Order: sequence, then structure tokens, then C-alpha cells
Amino acid sequence: MLRVLIIGYGNPLRGDDGFGWQAATRLQRLIADPEVGVMAVQQLTPELMEPVSRAGRVVFIDAASAGEPGVLREEIVAADPETGRFTHHSTPGGLLAGAAALFGRAPEATLYSAPGQDFGFAERLTPSVEKALGEVVARVRAGL
Amino acid sequence: MPRQKIVIDPVTRIEGHSKISIHLDDHGRVEEAFFHVTQFRGFEKFCEGRPFTEMPSLMARICGICPVSHLIASAKACDAILAVRIPPNAARLRRIMNLAQIVQSHALSFFHLSSPDFLLGMDSDPAKRNIFGVAEAHPGMARDGVRLRQFGQQTIERLGGKRVHPAWVVAGGVGEALSAPTRDAILAGIPDAMAIAMRTLDWFKNEMERFREEIRTFANFPTLFMALVAPDGGLDFYDGKLRFLDAGGHVVADGISADTYAQNVGEMVHPWTYLKTTYYKPLGYPDGIYRVGPLARLNVIDGCHMPRAGQEWAEFRELDRGAVLSSFYYHYARLIEIVFSLESMEQLLGSPDVLDPNVRAHASANNSEGVGVSEAPRGTLVHHYKVDGDGLITWANLIIATGHNNAAMNRGVLQVARHFVHGSRLNEGMLNRVEAVIRAFDPCLSCSTHAGGRMAMDVELRSSGGELLDALHR
Repeated sequence: MLRVLIIGYGNPLRGDDGFGWQAATRLQRLIADPEVGVMAVQQLTPELMEPVSRAGRVVFIDAASAGEPGVLREEIVAADPETGRFTHHSTPGGLLAGAAALFGRAPEATLYSAPGQDFGFAERLTPSVEKALGEVVARVRAGL
Repeated sequence: MPRQKIVIDPVTRIEGHSKISIHLDDHGRVEEAFFHVTQFRGFEKFCEGRPFTEMPSLMARICGICPVSHLIASAKACDAILAVRIPPNAARLRRIMNLAQIVQSHALSFFHLSSPDFLLGMDSDPAKRNIFGVAEAHPGMARDGVRLRQFGQQTIERLGGKRVHPAWVVAGGVGEALSAPTRDAILAGIPDAMAIAMRTLDWFKNEMERFREEIRTFANFPTLFMALVAPDGGLDFYDGKLRFLDAGGHVVADGISADTYAQNVGEMVHPWTYLKTTYYKPLGYPDGIYRVGPLARLNVIDGCHMPRAGQEWAEFRELDRGAVLSSFYYHYARLIEIVFSLESMEQLLGSPDVLDPNVRAHASANNSEGVGVSEAPRGTLVHHYKVDGDGLITWANLIIATGHNNAAMNRGVLQVARHFVHGSRLNEGMLNRVEAVIRAFDPCLSCSTHAGGRMAMDVELRSSGGELLDALHR
């Protein structure tokens, strides 16, 4: 069982939407602890419920569409089936609810998110979100 | 009573945008129905000028659910432009990834999109008619759905490095050979996946009796069927020749190679939809309407040459004396194909040559044209490219399974609407059945037509004078 599972998600081809994905790929290079798993995915899919249910704690990293660009937010995520009415993608709360309903356990979870500025076609982050990328990587590592 | 029109708009939110319109006559009876796809993608046009070697990765972006299918058909078209015969192990590895794609996509369709209808009922509360409703009422089934799709997705990731849009399938073969640990990891997951597939198939066969009315009315009419068939007459998702079968079960055309598809498949457009319609050219339209996908595949083959799937196929074919006609049976066929895919994967991974490092043929463009045909989860997929002397794309034509099925889906909507829709009133169960007949075909659109049982949908019933007679919103 993983002590911590980190899931960074987003579309790296859509500018700041790639924030979570880029954070996860950076963390994959930096973390060698076998008890910590890092996944970089484009969206939260239903099959993630099973590994989520087996993790001691889950850290989600995502971009946000509203708020001051690049200002990192940290929040506790609760299981929420109302946000999980997915067909092939979900939300952190929906995944936790699914993990509890189907696999008997929803671990504690934290969501780090940074509002983006540009979600157009680009493979790079805007400067403010790029700054938040370094910050989230440092905070997640410090919290392991 | 004045003429009326019911409009279901939108039917979809993400993977596709569509609407359904149902026209009622002066007596409130359904006169005509249309399935409109209202989006335009433009892949055939904006790939012009790109190097053909980019096409597999570019075309995979057509779909987030079945990118592997586009990778395979596109790479095969590029193989034809290279004029190479790819190494046997490259074909073997492509097949394994394609089979994993069939498993994960069929699992998504059956468990996540359609099982709420089977388990909770077509008339159940739409707020509960979703995967969480299933999880509450049938947690084992919901868990099986998640695990089976997880197996397919993990296999794709293990082979291609990522679950969505892997770049591993390339012109001339695949990008990297298979390692023994990866092979063993995939093999280790097959028994659990097979157990899920078999118990779901057994359950569904027992449940089908409850859906007699849907079986009778869900696009249940004579059409042709088309699919690839292996040289031995068996089921094949990767290669083979195209075969057309009629409703009576007679072979109409056989042995059609990829590069002659255009002699047999006619294409046309209707003014009410961006989705093109195809037909069997020698019979013209509409006599040449045909269906593709799981139902068609199991209809056109001579056998399903795997132990468990073969047995299930034989039982399936007992449903009708000729071809199995009801589109409700797409769901049944889908489950049999999952069993076949798992058995095939096990056989291919057990080959002593599956670790052979020779997995790619290298060449420059040697042909100015190439066609690739494969079977995607939803049916036959055609990629056809032309290139100039520098290997840049000058023309492309794509025929996606949903296009092959377009005419049959339209007819299916009409049949269901005539049976279930009555002009004097509207209700959820009635409208859900109109959607469910489309869902049975599992078009890419179906990903969002069943968005958690709360599909964004407005239905208005208006008189010919524009007066709002009835409306439903969810």
C-alpha cells in the first residue's frame, strides 16, 4: 500500500491547464520513495478509484479556472458523489466517493490548485502559473 | 391536431454534439425522426501538408476513448505508403494493444453508460440512473466495471507508456519491443478480467428476457452488415478482408481488400447532419444501408476461434435464423467480444516470439497512396491518405464506425420513437429509450449522452404554429 498517492491532472497542450500534469511529471523525477506513487494523467478516470482506495493519503494537483492566476490554493477534499456522475472522467470528490462505495475506503485527500491565465493551445505555462509550479512541488515534497 | 415536432437538444456535451428531432403528424403519431450531429471536426482537411509519418499521432487525437483504434488504422495506411510488410512481432504487439482497447472501451460502454438502464430500469429516476446508482444497488457490478476497464487501460499504458494517446504505434511497426516483466504483468491480470467478463455475460444472458420490448423495437430491422473477417473466417479486429452479409445471413460480397473499399462503400451527406452516411455501393442508398460494430462482426464471421468466445458465439447465433437483427443485441455482442479479446491476448502474449526485438520496418514513402482498415470497438475504421513526392499529405478520407452506422441509427430512432413516443404526452422513460437506441450502437457521442443519468437535455413539444404544448428539462 502506498503511503501517499499524488495525482496531477490536466491537459499539457492547453497552456495553464497543464499545471497539475506538469507538477506530477516533475515530482516523478524528484521522488524516489517507493511508498509514494505519482501519476500524471490528463483527466480523472473511474479506474483511479481503486488505487485511490488503497493509498494512505491522496494529493490531487490541478489547475483552476477562476481566481488570481498563479495563487496556489490548498484545500481538504471530501467524498462527494454529487460531483462524481462521470462517464469517463470525474472529480477528486467523486473519485473518493467512488472509492468508498466500491472499494470500501476513501482516504484523506488534499487538493492543490492554481488558477490559470491562459488555456489556449500552448505547451508552456504563463509566468505566474510557472511560479506556482515550483511552489506546489516544494510544498508537496515537504508534506511527504 | 396540428403537426408537431419534438426536439431533443443537445443529446451530448463533450465527445460529440447532437440532437434528435421527432416529427408528429396531424394525429400526433410519429411521422419522421432524425439524428443530427451538429459538430464539425475537420481532421481530413487540416492534416493536409503534414508529413505522413505524423498521421498516427495526429489522428489519435480524434478520440480520447478509442485513440488506439485510430493509431492502428492510421499506421496501417502509413505502412501501405511505406510499402513495407511490418515485422510479425510488430503486428502481434499492435494486435495486443488493439484488443486491450476493445476491452476498455466495451467495458466503458456496457458498465458505465448502459448498465444503469439494465440494472435500474429504463423508467427509473434519472437522478439515480448512473454509476453511483449502480454502486448503491449493485456494488459488485460497478466494481467489476471499474476493474475491467482498469485492466484494459493499464495494458495500453504498459505497452504504450500512457493510457490516452500513446505514441507507441508508428508507421512501420511499433516504437519499442515488449519486455518480459511487462508481458508477465499483463498476463497476470487476465484471469481476473476473464472472471468479470464471464460472470457479466452470464448475468446479461439471464436478464435479456426482461427487455423483450426493447429487443423487438431497438433498431430491429433488416440491413446489411459489414466487418473485417480473418482468412479462416474468424473474428479479427486488426486485419483481414471486408465482408458484407445480408439480413438473411447470406454473404453479399467477400474478400474485399482495404485498397478497394471505395468500390464497395459509397459516401453521402445529408443536409441535417455533419456526420456522413455510408452505404453498400452496388445496392445504392437506401437499399445498401448496413451496420458495423460488435453485432455486425458476430454476424458476418464463420466462427469465433477461441474456446470460450467460440461457445458463446454459437449460442448468440441461435438468436435468429439469419443475421441477428436487433440492435439491442449490440450489448450482448460486446460482452462476447470482451471474452474473445482476453482469450486472444493470452494466446498472443504466450507466443515464444512476443519478446522479439525486431518490431519496426524502416523505409521512405514508396507509394503515393495508402489505405488502413481495422476494427475499432464501434466498428470498421478506414483511413485513406494520399501524399506528394515529399511524403506530405495532400488528401485524406476517414470513415468512422459511427458514420457507417448513421443510416441505421436514424432508422432506429424512428422505430423507437414510433413505438414509445405519443404526441399527447412526454415522459422520461420514453425519451430515455430514444437515447438508449443510440447508446446501443455506442457511437462516440454516447460518452456524453448518458452523463451521469442527468444528460443536459431540453425537450419541447410544439404545435406547427410554435405553441409550446409540453416541455421537459433535465
